[in-house]
Amino acid sequence: MITLTGVTKTYPSPAGAFSALRGIDLHISAGEFAAIVGKSGSGKSTLLNMVAGIDRPSAGTVRVGERPIEALSQGQLAKWRGQSVGIVFQFFQLLPTLTVAENVMLPMDFLGAIPGRERHRRALLLLERVGVADQAGKLPSALSGGQQQRVAIARALANDPPVILADEPTGNLDSATSADIFKLFAELAADGKTLVIVTHEREAVSGATRTVTLADGCVIR
Amino acid sequence: MIGSRARKILGDLSERRGAFLMAVLAMSVGVFQISSMLYTYSILSGTLGTMFERTRPASAILVTDGDSDALIDSVRAVPGVADAEARPVIVGRVRVGRDEWVPGMFYVVRDFNKLRLDTFEPHQGAWPPGEQEVLLEQTALQVAKARSGDAINIRTVGGEDQALKVSGTVHDEGLPPSWMDHIVPGFVSWNSALRRSAGGESKQIRIRVADSPLDEGSIREVADRVKAMLERQGHHVSWINVPPPGKHPHADQMAAFLYLLGVFGLMSFVLSTALVAGMVQGLLAEQVRQVGIMKAIGGSTRQVATLYLAQVSILAAGALAVGLPAGMFAGRIFARSFAAILNGHITNTEFPMWLLVLEIVAGIAVPLLVSLGPVLQASGVTVHQALNGDPGPRADGGRRLDRAIARIDWLPRPLMLSLRTTFLRRGRLALTVGMLAVGGAMFISALNISDAWKRSVDDDFALRHFQLVVSVPHPTDIATLDRVIRAVPAVTGAEYWPEAKGFLVGSSGGSGDVVGIVGPDPGSKLLQLPMLSGLWIRSGDSTGVVINQGLFARDTTLRVGRQVRLRIRGQVVTWRINGIASEMTPMPIVYAPPDLVARAAGLQPGTARSARVVTGKTDEASQLQASEALEQAFAREHVELSSIQRISDNRKAILDHLVIILSVLTLAALIMLFVGAIGLTSTLSLNVVRRTREIGILGAIGATPATISRHVWAEGVLIGLLSWGLATLLSAPASYIMERVTGQIFFKTPVRFYMGTGPALIWLGLVVVLASASSLYPAWRASRLTVRKALSYE
Repeated sequence: MITLTGVTKTYPSPAGAFSALRGIDLHISAGEFAAIVGKSGSGKSTLLNMVAGIDRPSAGTVRVGERPIEALSQGQLAKWRGQSVGIVFQFFQLLPTLTVAENVMLPMDFLGAIPGRERHRRALLLLERVGVADQAGKLPSALSGGQQQRVAIARALANDPPVILADEPTGNLDSATSADIFKLFAELAADGKTLVIVTHEREAVSGATRTVTLADGCVIR
Repeated sequence: MIGSRARKILGDLSERRGAFLMAVLAMSVGVFQISSMLYTYSILSGTLGTMFERTRPASAILVTDGDSDALIDSVRAVPGVADAEARPVIVGRVRVGRDEWVPGMFYVVRDFNKLRLDTFEPHQGAWPPGEQEVLLEQTALQVAKARSGDAINIRTVGGEDQALKVSGTVHDEGLPPSWMDHIVPGFVSWNSALRRSAGGESKQIRIRVADSPLDEGSIREVADRVKAMLERQGHHVSWINVPPPGKHPHADQMAAFLYLLGVFGLMSFVLSTALVAGMVQGLLAEQVRQVGIMKAIGGSTRQVATLYLAQVSILAAGALAVGLPAGMFAGRIFARSFAAILNGHITNTEFPMWLLVLEIVAGIAVPLLVSLGPVLQASGVTVHQALNGDPGPRADGGRRLDRAIARIDWLPRPLMLSLRTTFLRRGRLALTVGMLAVGGAMFISALNISDAWKRSVDDDFALRHFQLVVSVPHPTDIATLDRVIRAVPAVTGAEYWPEAKGFLVGSSGGSGDVVGIVGPDPGSKLLQLPMLSGLWIRSGDSTGVVINQGLFARDTTLRVGRQVRLRIRGQVVTWRINGIASEMTPMPIVYAPPDLVARAAGLQPGTARSARVVTGKTDEASQLQASEALEQAFAREHVELSSIQRISDNRKAILDHLVIILSVLTLAALIMLFVGAIGLTSTLSLNVVRRTREIGILGAIGATPATISRHVWAEGVLIGLLSWGLATLLSAPASYIMERVTGQIFFKTPVRFYMGTGPALIWLGLVVVLASASSLYPAWRASRLTVRKALSYE
């Protein structure tokens, strides 16, 4: 499903080139729930960005499904992301001027794969699935952190992508709420989604089918 | 070693080069606007008077019957006379087509190398002209359809046609441009062939008074002394003309022009203030997190505010350094161009001290003052607020506007997002919309004023149902005139109104302004002027007259029921005022019953000196054809003509007087376009910067660069459309006030209020184009942001 071959990412810096990833080879199969762990600065988020097409490798290839995504233009990448990947951020990143339901519908609008009439119904279904359907008409600022992250997960599922990527999704939540969120991710994995989560949380690691540990830009386990 | 705070200021400037450069550019546009307009104002406000004074204008002109050197010497010896010069005038016509003529005024100069009064300068060609030559005013070549070296044909009343070679041109700053008055002014030598061939000349003696040159009363006293001396020597003085002392013939145009320039200069100041406030607010929006960090590590609100005010000072100084020289350069060009329109040239372009002080105040102090609010607000945020980011709209959606906008959920979501994002920062939105709206209102008003003036002139001429005015040099049998005129097939009718020229007699008994006196048939349909008060002249009322508002403006004591005193052919007549008519001309005119005018003008019954001619077709070409046919008819019948005036030419002459007004309006409109574009571009650019992270999120959830560009574009157009609505509303009072004031200055009557849909629609089109153009760069920049960079932006 996701294959990284010899992926290296080097950033120029005043102190000299800094390698965030060094020749990563990694394969994550369809339906796997992979937790990427490691210390701060180990390259976890960079790795996730490579898979999401948010960043490009300095060397090596990233394939998600059958596509080598580093060859895609920015426009093609955006469309591909809308179709194939759902992303959940640490700080939720909901658009403050749109209601909860509208935030969930926005990726559907961008991709246009789901007919316009069905988008609202689907958004409500997704919100119901993550347990915040009663908040659909509110603005994100009216919701708690946990509720906002649930909305972000619903948004990630908007176009029913096969892959969900999450970068420290519980880093900004209390432990009880974090547990609820991980439970939600486990359900998604059980439904056949491929999940890649960057996290520090032990609960996530325990719920994951696989743990990938990074240190200094290399996979050590 | 510079301190950490200074390093922070410089670091920010370097880090956000693009945004700060945009800020400097936008602020410098404000400085440019103010400096160019006020510099133009400062140069021109004194220029007309100075350039007029440079010509040593005559204080008074006496029309008499002698012009010998000895006579002029004795005039110079009259107490109170500083100088005198004989300057006979030959009135004629210059041929510009086979049967097409334009009026010409030829001044006979005693000695070109010793000009004493109403001086002029050689411009090009031979100086002085020979016997068979003429020097034309530089602006007259175009009207005379001639070039230097060509021969022009001059026809004078009672004389023979005379061909003179144009030996060159002169520049006479005391004369209005020829293309404006549609008269060809020329200068010939004392022994010119034209003097021998002409049927006659008006022997004029110009005098300049020694004391109180700007006091009309003392000028008249001196002129009367000269008149008495001339009469003692056996000469007859038929007319004393005292032009308004120190006033250039086109001073009213300049006054209207300067008024508009002043208004637009003031508005520019307001605009630039709004521009700066918006810009600073935008820049500070980016710094919220950093404010939080600085306060978290011990910075006080005052220290943080000082830091940002220092940054604003640097930006303001940069804007001043860019905007001031550019404004000075443009101001000099504008002033030269506008002076050239009035046939003047600028000699003093000194940048006045008051303007420099104002510029520094406007350029540095004003940005600091208007930044104070946003800076204190931004510096006052708590660490928690700053570090936890933008809370977005209030959670309860309590504000009425939020709720109203939230109800607009039928738009496509990306467009809805643009709409809501636009309304998110209301203060900033209000500034941008307000600035664009003021610019738009000025643009619309400029076009409205221009249209209002043209319409007023058109409406006025629509009340005149004749196309030609034929004048003959001597009173002629109306039967003869009618026979000649009606022989022309294009003519469908003619009326013969007596006319005279008089002088308004003031309360002191002195003669003032020249007044035209016209005696239309009371039942005539050829002239139907709207009445401001009272009634039009009536059959059976042989004493009541109507004055136009041009005369009323000169003496506001003249009211219906009161009397107007005029000096006509040396006699003072007193007529009762029955009405005041509205007329779109600054020329004072009295309309009186025909018998009254005929008596005052000394016309025998059944004779006339002019005819109002009606033609079948009224377009410009038909008027020209009819006037040519009349020329031929009068020549065939050997009846001498003074002139044939086409109404279309008169209309054009009035509109040509508006050129300078229209120029300033166009200039103001263009500057507004420019400022609007810069303001909107900077607003959108800063919005892109502020929303970088949001753009990243959009990209992360599937928005393509094209979608993001459209999003920025839609926001720009939305702001443009909002400003358009407001501009249209604001333009109504703005147009009303400026139309009234400029009309009053120039025509002595307020221009009838006009506000068309055309200017608003033009601005609508322009605002969409402007918004689209302004969003190009920000949209491109937004589309170039990679998701990674956008998401990592702080």
